[in-house]
Amino acid sequence: MGEMSKPRDTFVLGRGEYDNKGEKVKPGVPSFLPPMSRDLPPNRLGLAKWIVDPLNPLTARVVVNQYWQQYFGTGIVKTAEDFGSQGEPPSHPELLDWLATEFVRSGWDIKAMQRLIVTSATYRQSSRASRELIERDPENRLLARGPRFRLPAEMVRDNALAISGLLNDRIGGPSVYPYQPKGLWEEMAFGEGYSGQSYTQSPKPDLYRRGMYTVWKRTVPPPSLTILDAPDREKCTARRAVTNTPLQALVLLNDPTYVEASRALADRTLRNGGRSDHARIDFAFKLATARTPDPQERAVLLGSLREFRSLYRHDQANASKLLSVGETKADSRLAPRELAAWTTLASMILNLDETITKE
Amino acid sequence: MTDSLTPEISAAMTRRQFFRRSTAGIAIGIPALATLLTTDGFGADTAIDEKTGGLAGLPHFPPKGRRVIFLHQSGAPSQIELFDFKPNLVKWQGAELPDSVRMGQRITGMTSGQSSFPVAPSIFKFSQYGRSGAWTSELLPYHTKIEDDITIIKSVYSEAINHDPAITFLQTGFQQPGRPSMGAWTTYGLGSENQNLPAFVVLISQANALNPDQPLFSRLWGSGFLPSRYQGVKFRASGDPVLYLSNPPGVPSGTRRRMLDGISKLNRLLAEKYGDPEIDTRVAQYEMAYRMQTSVPDLMDLSKEPESTFELYGPDSRKPGTYAANCLLARRLAERGVRFIQLYHRGWDQHNDLPRDIALQCKGVDQPSAALILDLKQRGMLDDTLVVWAGEFGRTVYCQGKLTGTNYGRDHHPRCFSIWMAGAGIQRGLTIGKTDDYCYNIVEDPVHVHDLQATILHCLGIDHLKLTYKFQGRYFRLTDVGGLVVKKILT
Repeated sequence: MGEMSKPRDTFVLGRGEYDNKGEKVKPGVPSFLPPMSRDLPPNRLGLAKWIVDPLNPLTARVVVNQYWQQYFGTGIVKTAEDFGSQGEPPSHPELLDWLATEFVRSGWDIKAMQRLIVTSATYRQSSRASRELIERDPENRLLARGPRFRLPAEMVRDNALAISGLLNDRIGGPSVYPYQPKGLWEEMAFGEGYSGQSYTQSPKPDLYRRGMYTVWKRTVPPPSLTILDAPDREKCTARRAVTNTPLQALVLLNDPTYVEASRALADRTLRNGGRSDHARIDFAFKLATARTPDPQERAVLLGSLREFRSLYRHDQANASKLLSVGETKADSRLAPRELAAWTTLASMILNLDETITKE
Repeated sequence: MTDSLTPEISAAMTRRQFFRRSTAGIAIGIPALATLLTTDGFGADTAIDEKTGGLAGLPHFPPKGRRVIFLHQSGAPSQIELFDFKPNLVKWQGAELPDSVRMGQRITGMTSGQSSFPVAPSIFKFSQYGRSGAWTSELLPYHTKIEDDITIIKSVYSEAINHDPAITFLQTGFQQPGRPSMGAWTTYGLGSENQNLPAFVVLISQANALNPDQPLFSRLWGSGFLPSRYQGVKFRASGDPVLYLSNPPGVPSGTRRRMLDGISKLNRLLAEKYGDPEIDTRVAQYEMAYRMQTSVPDLMDLSKEPESTFELYGPDSRKPGTYAANCLLARRLAERGVRFIQLYHRGWDQHNDLPRDIALQCKGVDQPSAALILDLKQRGMLDDTLVVWAGEFGRTVYCQGKLTGTNYGRDHHPRCFSIWMAGAGIQRGLTIGKTDDYCYNIVEDPVHVHDLQATILHCLGIDHLKLTYKFQGRYFRLTDVGGLVVKKILT
């Protein structure tokens, strides 16, 4: 896309109406921001150069604050979308300054900035805290402990797929159509003659691609993601709310994506997790939480496994039904009732707060 | 966070008390604890009412209504055929709409190319009913029974001329997407009165008419910049009534109960280690999810309704997903304390073949709409339930397409349309607003969409100027920068 040789005249439109032309306007940057150099062309190229001018203090500050927010849940400036007079001042102003200048100094090296943040002593702190500390600093703005927050919607899904071994980590390519309850697009459709009115699920390898490749129809966004706070993409969202609702529990317990992932995790555990219940429980739990369960936790998991075994032992019908969820077939060499019991246990593990939380 | 709330999370509280409180005292989808701690990162300067999960200090004044049932007639019904009787139009049938009436006002691209704008009178008859003597179309025989219970406003107007911006305007107070819907604002302000159902429920029904429907958009019940827990939850007629509600195949309820017990035990062990109250909230939310699995099917199960209910709402009320069934469900939701019940009924966009389609559409809508009012009334619920029946704009007096003695179409007309409201402090048997003889411009009591929204909030005890939310450096409200309460229609 190139600039027009002679740019079109542009006007302020009264009440936004296309035929109500007011004052004629020229390209420029807001007057409260640093001015644009006269040497720069008054077009998109000039704007881009102005944005990344090392002397422009804003860009790097906003960007590193976004990175910080991704790792810590809250930015150094909490109002990541607003650094103006209506925003919040930074909790650690010198730190923000330093990160911003480091970012520019490194030649805007994004990877180096991630390394700098994740190898910091602050980030490497444990997320554990006393109730007293939480009461004194509920949002952890003073960073006396490590971050702890629920993963964003897409990552909750990717995480479950990765734990179960189903994740397809191919990069790039067109959007995909994962499991979605039937009829969602159709009940809001315009009718025949228009595109994108019905939803056709993708074939197998595409079902397990990362959440970011999920097709996004703005009038009917994928509910399993929006329920977990993915924005509807109707407005610019610089930070997401993190809510905690019963509908989220229903997604994680009942969406075929997670039921199938539970079976795949059970399958993976029975094949690779050792021979004893104890070893297998440790294996599955560790895949999900990156740690070994303590004896109390292991006892709870063993107790649940025994319950599930006794429930499915005489219930071949329900075991088969559970194992049939999803497009990937269950391993036929594994005893179905035993696999059903482990699938139920795996679903428990995928639903743990710790599994869906970054800490 | 305000000082008055900090003692509530004092370290002296045991985990058990903490947990019990956070399950008992909060609304579904509105975990008070999470809000107290503002872990969603928003709304740090607002205090929360612990009982409802709404804002502390709301309602601003004693409310007449506690809940809203909004019967949205999607596609925009013709006021000329239903409520705004214009006897003189017959004289002008086929004559050009005078320039003195149109006054050069903008019309849509669908008719702006027409060489002629012939006046199309309604072919349907009107009579007066009730003590109020409201003129009512023969298309709405059941409405004659409720004329003395409702207020008809014949002078509502919108700024938008096409469906998408107009519905968005009506539901969110702004034509462009991204603002919270009325239901989201209401539940944000007032919270919930039911622990086992969402506070904001959406029901959709499909057209009775034959013309193609306008699409709907889930942003119409979205939460905009409010946290996503305020978004409406769509209850569906087929499949799971609430998405993901049913256990997967092969997981009976007893097995699910044991799973939840296990999850709960492990999460509580974790909470002891990390001290993060979000974990307690999550335990509570899983329990609520389990309760919803019972409360929602119970709500949707109409088998215990007596025969008289189905007679009242009409035979369609037995068919899930119809407007009639949704009106009945709306009453059941209202009974259970759901705060905002939003219906969308599609099929009113009658650009052509209007007489045929509006007759079909009214057949589906008339009886159940009236039944809902009668039903609420007989249960004593009309006093504290606000019912609103409205489309997103009106339709033109001039004909779109070919005008014959029996057939015509009408284009979009934002300059006047008719709606009705009932219950919760709204006058009974009142008609306000006048349009000119051509039903083109308002001549008395104009009611802007923002005025309507301000009035709806007023009925719930909310001052629309005070229910605000700061986003991207600005305080927003449902009524944007406008809105005057229509005092004339209040009791």
